[in-house]
This record gives sequence, structure tokens and C-alpha cells, in this order.
Amino acid sequence: MSYTLPQLITRAAATHPDKPAFRCLGKQVTYRELERQMHQIAGVLKGVGVKKGDRVGIFMARSLETAAAIYGIMAAGAIYVPLNPGQPVSRTYFLLKDCGIEVLLTNDGQKRNLPAVITAESGVKTVLGTTTDLPCQTMSWTEIYAQDDNPPAVNILESDPAYLLCTSGSTGVPKGILHTHRSGLAYAELSVADYNLCENDVLGNHAPIYFDISTLGYFAGPMARATTIIASEAHVKMPASLAQLLEKEQITVWYSVPLALMQMQQSGKLSALDLKKLRWVIFAGEVYPMKHLRRLVNELPQAKFSNAYGPTETNVCTIYNFSELPENMTSLPVGKVRGNTEILLLQDGKPAESGELLVRSPTLMQGYRNRPDLNEKAFYKRPTAAGGTEIFYRTGDLMRRDADGNLLFLGRKDRQVKVRGFRVELDEITETLLRHPQVTAAAVYTRTTADENTEIAATVTTSDPENLTEADLILYLKKELPPYAVPANIRFVKEMPRTATGKIDLKALQNRMQTA
Amino acid sequence: MQQQIITYIETELLAGQENLNLTADEDLLTTGLIDSLGTMKLIAFLEETYDITVPAEDMTIEYFMTVNDMAEYIAARRTANVIS
Repeated sequence: MSYTLPQLITRAAATHPDKPAFRCLGKQVTYRELERQMHQIAGVLKGVGVKKGDRVGIFMARSLETAAAIYGIMAAGAIYVPLNPGQPVSRTYFLLKDCGIEVLLTNDGQKRNLPAVITAESGVKTVLGTTTDLPCQTMSWTEIYAQDDNPPAVNILESDPAYLLCTSGSTGVPKGILHTHRSGLAYAELSVADYNLCENDVLGNHAPIYFDISTLGYFAGPMARATTIIASEAHVKMPASLAQLLEKEQITVWYSVPLALMQMQQSGKLSALDLKKLRWVIFAGEVYPMKHLRRLVNELPQAKFSNAYGPTETNVCTIYNFSELPENMTSLPVGKVRGNTEILLLQDGKPAESGELLVRSPTLMQGYRNRPDLNEKAFYKRPTAAGGTEIFYRTGDLMRRDADGNLLFLGRKDRQVKVRGFRVELDEITETLLRHPQVTAAAVYTRTTADENTEIAATVTTSDPENLTEADLILYLKKELPPYAVPANIRFVKEMPRTATGKIDLKALQNRMQTA
Repeated sequence: MQQQIITYIETELLAGQENLNLTADEDLLTTGLIDSLGTMKLIAFLEETYDITVPAEDMTIEYFMTVNDMAEYIAARRTANVIS
């Protein structure tokens, strides 16, 4: 019998029907209710012509409807594609076209954004979950939840695609990472085992659904029959309220990017709150600055901590768990390889003490959607003695092992960086700047802020120094790129510093900005 | 004060979006209308324009959900300043 992600809900509904599955802004949905909603959405999707393997967009801020949408789409045999409502219209447009999305799930929180996105040219034929007047077929949540809740007759295998996460691409075009029911479930299984998740747990979900960190709450939560608290957009922006949410909901397992934890630390509330039930604090997405992490560990003596590492393509593949930090530790390891996972460190194609990390695991993506060129480069195929092939993903991350067998992150092979946990290809920003008619040369790099965070900065030359301003370029980039990829500042120079070979001297620019 | 804050949000934070017509009791946070960076900028603007300091522990939904909430908070902060 196959095992698929929607079965997490039907199984939990059978054993724990009245247990709250998700809670957001004081409202909650039980496993029984969620199962019903999932089948209603799947039925509606089938009714509007959605077939197995079709991509269905989710365009909404974090809410209870997000959980229903995720599971409803998968139960219809379709693939859910999270779209960030905060990203520029042009990018949403691109993704709608590129993914061939004809049906979108949303809610009335997006009534201001929808008319700009859903035009006659967008290719979208149906928008579900809205009362906004749009040039296509629409249906409200009230109507959806008045439909039959018969389980849809669709044959889904665990190896079928389930969700598509779109991420920054170095050529200026986002790429879609396709995960299957199997890879999502394998990740949830490892997480339930590694953190000993159970029905008594209350999981804090901070990440938006276009970020793979979200799948711990959405998949592993129901697998453990736990309750997942979806932190609303408002909580995410107001760190003092976010910290209060941890106490109010008596969260037992928290998972977010380091920045969210650092902001809660700065809000000054963490140690004053009653967080005695908080047993795991998991963070991922970027490096936790050591001085803030030491403070966090002191503030939460009851909790264990886990530094989780893994690109979206592989899901989390290594973890470093600790209760306290050794005095002499200067950088936090990404830790040891998880179960059901094999890694290689390769340098010039040969196993080495340090080198590029390659990962093989059932948590691995199926591939980049419609990008055979990228898949060719991303996968390393190792022939086996039995005549088969083992497929590894090349992470592009350089690692080495320390004396205790923990992996240490050394850097990237390419120009990908992490900003507030989000993956950004610096070359995508450069390409976008160069498309501006008055920009003649552009260089994009990162710098470290006073509180040890990474921010993006750019230097450009222009053909119109009299008129073009930093504000013009920032506004231009805001229309083309997701908010986290827009540089914190852009400097104008008459001429770029160059290396001996004539390339733009990024090191020189970076040093200049760092001391500025 | 409400109109001044709305104008700032419309022209500085949501520049490029047309026909916004924001209202003072509109939820600006839950819908994701203003992003995280925008929230930071907005608070910096309020501090400078109304000569108040927003301590980190006051970064809460109750004070910043709507323009009306912000106006109420600013008034309370100013009174507190005068008393102290």
C-alpha cells in the first residue's frame, strides 16, 4: 500500500479526531475537521478540472486555510506551489506562467494584491477562496466548505510529486524544486525520530510555506499527531508578540531561522517568560552568530538546541544537537549525518577530508522541474557493483569533518548566500541590475552588519549620474525581486575597481563597504 | 496624525502600488501588506516624526496592527514622557 502525505491527516483523524491539528490567531482546526476540509478542497479542485500532476498555486498569508490548501491540493493528486504574496507582481506572473498554474487558492487577506496578479493574461482560470471580483471563475471559502467531503478517487503513489518550492536561480530565473510524497514523508519520519515528537507536542511554525522549514510543522506535526501553531504574519513582524506566543501556546518544539530567535532575544522577553515546556529549539537557514547563541542557551536552560542543515533540494540532512556550548567553540558545526542518509565529501571528483558535500537520501527532491540542464549538473550518479545507480545531490557547500566527526561548513562553491534564512543568488541581483537601462556595470556582494547579520550591498556605474538615484534603483529592484533579495544599499562609483584579469574586484568593493 | 502615517505608508513603503486608499482601521500586519523591513522603517519613521522611542518590548501586535493602534500608542508614549 502506498503512503502519501494526505494520509497523515486521515490517519491522525482516525486516531485523534478531536485533537487540534493547527492553530493560528486564536482559531483552530481539529484533525477530523481538517480531513473534511481537505476532501472538500480536493473535490472542488477536481470539479474545476484539476488533474493529477497539475500545479496549483497557494497565494495567501499564513493562516489556517494554508494548512487546508496544502493538504487539499495534494489529496487531489496535484502539486502545491507556494507563491509569496509579498514578492513583486512580475515575479508572481513569471511563476504562474512557468509552472503552468491555472488554479489558485487564496483568502480575502489578499484582496488588495489579487487584481494586480490575476489579469486576463495571467493564465489563471480559477481562484478559490476569495470574494474579490476577478476576471475569472471564483469561489469563496464558505462555498468550498459547503461541498461534499467524499474522498476523491485519485491514484497517488508515494513517488509522485507533491510540492514545488521555487527558489533563486543564478541566471536571473527562479528554479522549481520538485519534492514527492516520499521525500516529504521521509523528512517527517526523520524529524519525528530525531526530536522524539509525540501527540503532546506543540510545534511552533514560523516559516512561510514557500520556505522548506515550514514542512516540519505541516508534515511532521500531523505525523506525530501533535498540534502545530502557525505564527501569523503579524507575530512574525512583532518579535515581542512572537515571544508571548511561545508562552501562551506553551510551545514545546520551536523551529525557525536564527533571526527570529535573535529578534525575540532583543525584545527582552525570552528569559522572563514561562517557557518551561520548551524542549527543543531548532534553527536552520543560516549561521547563528555565536555571541547571540551563547546568550540564547543561557536564557533557555531547559531546552535542547539543534542546528539543522540541508538545502531545500535535500531537506535537512545533518543536525548538531547540544544543550550547552563548549567554551572554546568558535563556529557551530552543522553536525552529524541523519539516519537513512549517506554523504560524500569530494574534491576534484575524489573523496577527501574536506570538499563539496554530496547527499543521498529518500528525502532528496525528484529534480528541478523542466530543467534537464540543471538536473544534469546537480546529480552525481555512482554506479553500484550490482549494476544499479546511486544518485547523490551536489550541494555546492564546502565542508570538512572535525575530530568528533561533526561536519563544519566552510563556504559555498558559487555565489549563493543566505539572507534572513532565504537563499539568494547574488548573480541574479547583478543580472537584474544590468537589465536597468541606465546601469552600465554592477557588482553585488554581502557584508556583515554590526550585529553579525549578513546583508546585501551593491555598487553600480551609470550612464546617467545626474538623474539616477539609489532610491530609483531600489524601487526598480523591489518590482523585480523578492524583498529579501533587494540590497540594503547601492553605491554609485565612476569606475569599478578591477582585478589584473579585468574582472570587477569584488573583494575590494566588499572591504570598502565593510569599513564604510 | 493618522493621515500623516497613512501618507508615509502609501508613498514610502508601498510606493508603486496604485489606488491603495488605506484606512486607519485596516489590519496592516496579518495580511502581509507591509513586510518585515517595511515594519522596521515604519517604526523608525514614527520615532523620528513623533519624537518617541519604541522599546523592543513594545514591538507588539496590539500597538502596531492598524494606524489607529499606532496613533493611540504614540499618544500614550508622549504622555508617559511628559509625566516622567
